[in-house]
Amino acid sequence: MIFIAILIGCILGAILGMNAPMISYTYSSYLAIAIIAALDSVFGGIASVIKKNFDLKIFISGFFGNAILAILLTVLGQKLNVDIYLAAIVVFVWRMFMNLGTIRRYYVEKWTDKLTKKAEKNTKIEGKEIKSEVNNS
Amino acid sequence: MKKGKIIMTITIGIACFVLVAIMFMQFKIVNETDITSIEVMQEAELRTELSNWKEKYEEANQKYEETKSTIEEYKKTKESNEETSKLLEQELEQVNMALGKTDVEGQGIVITIKEGDTDEFNKISSDDLLIIANALKLAGAEAVSINDERIIRYDMASINNNTFIKVNGQRILPPYVIKAIGNPTYLESELVGSGGYVDVLRKLGHDITIEPSDKVLINKIKEDITTKYIE
Repeated sequence: MIFIAILIGCILGAILGMNAPMISYTYSSYLAIAIIAALDSVFGGIASVIKKNFDLKIFISGFFGNAILAILLTVLGQKLNVDIYLAAIVVFVWRMFMNLGTIRRYYVEKWTDKLTKKAEKNTKIEGKEIKSEVNNS
Repeated sequence: MKKGKIIMTITIGIACFVLVAIMFMQFKIVNETDITSIEVMQEAELRTELSNWKEKYEEANQKYEETKSTIEEYKKTKESNEETSKLLEQELEQVNMALGKTDVEGQGIVITIKEGDTDEFNKISSDDLLIIANALKLAGAEAVSINDERIIRYDMASINNNTFIKVNGQRILPPYVIKAIGNPTYLESELVGSGGYVDVLRKLGHDITIEPSDKVLINKIKEDITTKYIE
């Protein structure tokens, strides 16, 4: 169900984004950092849904708060002539990998569980035969 | 519990919607700027490029300024050259006038000397004419002529065998007309009164008239005054 929501959101977003007016190149670096922050939040949200500790307030505040903070850091970095946005990107990407890892582990475990259950079913039948063979020998 | 799940799903969907919308906007921006190939370069690269161009611009500007100043200098020299040539021309004109190489005109006096019936000894001689010419020069005459022969040196009049007078190699006959350009009053006062030479000649019986004139025309010298032996 959650994947259907994500898919619909993505399609609608793509349509809106393609029809949106152009933004000056000057602001594209801010937009890029905001995208990374939002992407991190979305992955975090999915991860928390999987972990079953999803909190709406935390998700929304994280989604907008992280993006705004990242943009502000970039502005500050430009004012100070320091590439602070690199630090933001590192943190966000690192968290993204962590969240992705959580999601991946969940689905891999789910998959392996399924496999082991199937294997157990098979081994229950085969196991008896093997046991009897071992006993015979 | 089911309500919370729906809200959660919708929230994540909206978040995805916003995220993808912004992402596509960004893609568009990056695509548009692709044309200028700016996005390929890092900011630092662009900075160095910019500073390079700035340097080039400054160099070109400096060169331009230098060329401008050179042109101005040339112009100045040209102008000064023109000034010099103008001055030289003026000077040349003055010298020519003084030398008698050009016709000149101006206010002055005309002296007409008609010989009276005197004996041979008191006849008008070249010396008399020269004395008058000299006196005129001393009174500030700028140009003097005798019978339209320009006098520029005082060895120009001579007498041959007491019969005729030569000025500039040309024989002249009475009546003698001496023209002078200068201040008429000065010129006249030099010749008349208190031992003026005209008075002396008048006493000898010569008929001399002096007329001041606003327009005295004195011809240029007819003799060739180029030098042959002076090196």
